[in-house]
Amino acid sequence: MTKEFGVPPVVFPSGGNPTVAAGGNTQQRLVPTAPFQPPRPSNSGIPFMSFEVGSAAATTSGPIGGGTGPIGGGTGPIGGVANFDDEEPLLDELGIHPDQIWKKTKSILNPFRANPTFHKDSDLSGPIFLYLSFCLFQLLAGKIQFGVILGWIVVSSIFLYVVFNMLAGRHGNLDLHTCTSVIGYCLLPVVILSAISLFVPQNGALRSGIAGVFVIWATRACTNLMVAVADGGEEHRGLIAYACFLIYTLFSLLVVF
Amino acid sequence: MARKSLGQARSTYKAMVNGWRYQYLISKCFSDPQYYFQVNDHYVRNKLKIVLLPFLNRGHWTRITEPVGGRLSYEPPINDINAPDLYIPCMAFATYLVLAGISLGLSGKFTPEALNWKFVTGMMGWFSEVMLLKVSILSLGGGEAPLLDMVAYAGYTFTGMCVAVLGKITLGYTYYLIILWTCLCMGIFFIKTMNRTLLSEVRRYDSSKHHYLLLCTALTQFPLMFCLSNISGT
Repeated sequence: MTKEFGVPPVVFPSGGNPTVAAGGNTQQRLVPTAPFQPPRPSNSGIPFMSFEVGSAAATTSGPIGGGTGPIGGGTGPIGGVANFDDEEPLLDELGIHPDQIWKKTKSILNPFRANPTFHKDSDLSGPIFLYLSFCLFQLLAGKIQFGVILGWIVVSSIFLYVVFNMLAGRHGNLDLHTCTSVIGYCLLPVVILSAISLFVPQNGALRSGIAGVFVIWATRACTNLMVAVADGGEEHRGLIAYACFLIYTLFSLLVVF
Repeated sequence: MARKSLGQARSTYKAMVNGWRYQYLISKCFSDPQYYFQVNDHYVRNKLKIVLLPFLNRGHWTRITEPVGGRLSYEPPINDINAPDLYIPCMAFATYLVLAGISLGLSGKFTPEALNWKFVTGMMGWFSEVMLLKVSILSLGGGEAPLLDMVAYAGYTFTGMCVAVLGKITLGYTYYLIILWTCLCMGIFFIKTMNRTLLSEVRRYDSSKHHYLLLCTALTQFPLMFCLSNISGT
């Protein structure tokens, strides 16, 4: 859908931009020029879309990455020109490492012994993915609970953070990011529960029984990880296990009822 | 040399401000909250026995004091079964919420908003009980009992409420008997602890006023527990 503009063709004096053939007939984009115009190198690979994304611009427009032309041009040339091939992969720049997420998720799958080595460096992208899949399965069951689940995750991680650090006393070094990361990853059994409960009849003891099994799995995993990842929790294992049990029972209530 | 001292001053100022931010407000209103979380399994089990079945406790009810730095201070809960703690009240409150959720679900009325509303009403009930305790202690003339002590004592009623809601879920109509029983137990627990611990802070000793006040606080347990455990209005 092109609009007809009655503007005369514009020629940019410093070059590097294509001349506009006729108003309205253009497929090329006009790059707005800054007041000063550093010399464009001849090795910018893409002929008509020249964008300047210096390292400073890349950090300011971090989540967008370096791949979008108009936005890169809009922030203005700050540093030198970066090649499209020199850019970091998008996922790396966002800090999402899928293989690490997969390893961490697989370590929760064993209900009898959770492997805490991968969880020492915490990240929140795995929990966000698990949260979205939990919301998806609840949506398939007819319950729209996106805000509720997010709110409960936040409140329960703050609760567990306060309880753990108070119990551990001087030696407690759990931080909120690690706490949320562990709680988020240990939501995996609850996600599986919500997937399974799509096929289980609504009012029955079977539903509560299956929920109980998955809640105990999640509690075991969460307690083992908490005690392994942060100091000071070893002698209060039972007390922390009870707190985790309460948190995952709350989430299973959303699934069961 | 001046630059080094300026840098040092700047870093100490930053550290001071950061520490100030976290600890000033807490230490202004409350005594050290870490004292109330020095618990272990053994303490939790025995304290629950005392709270739920107070007449079975044959021992004394006074808190053990020890001289620390020239002043008498109370032993932490890990050494003294009569010391209040904040772990049991917080966990009892969360257990009450979970059990309320289960009870709502079993009667078909579970929505997350209803559970959030239960959380808010529970917090309001806890807060009002703390205010009641604080006002009664103040009216007797002694205001030195720490606020977190009263928060802890008020929170112990949630254990009784959990038992009541559990009874409602499992046993149906015997719920009313159970709730009367737990109210009685919580009242006795309240009277015995308040008699020894909180009122020992009071300067003037006025016997009849004390006893009336104790009776009143024990009696207020009844309507509070009825209100809060009346989950779905049935």
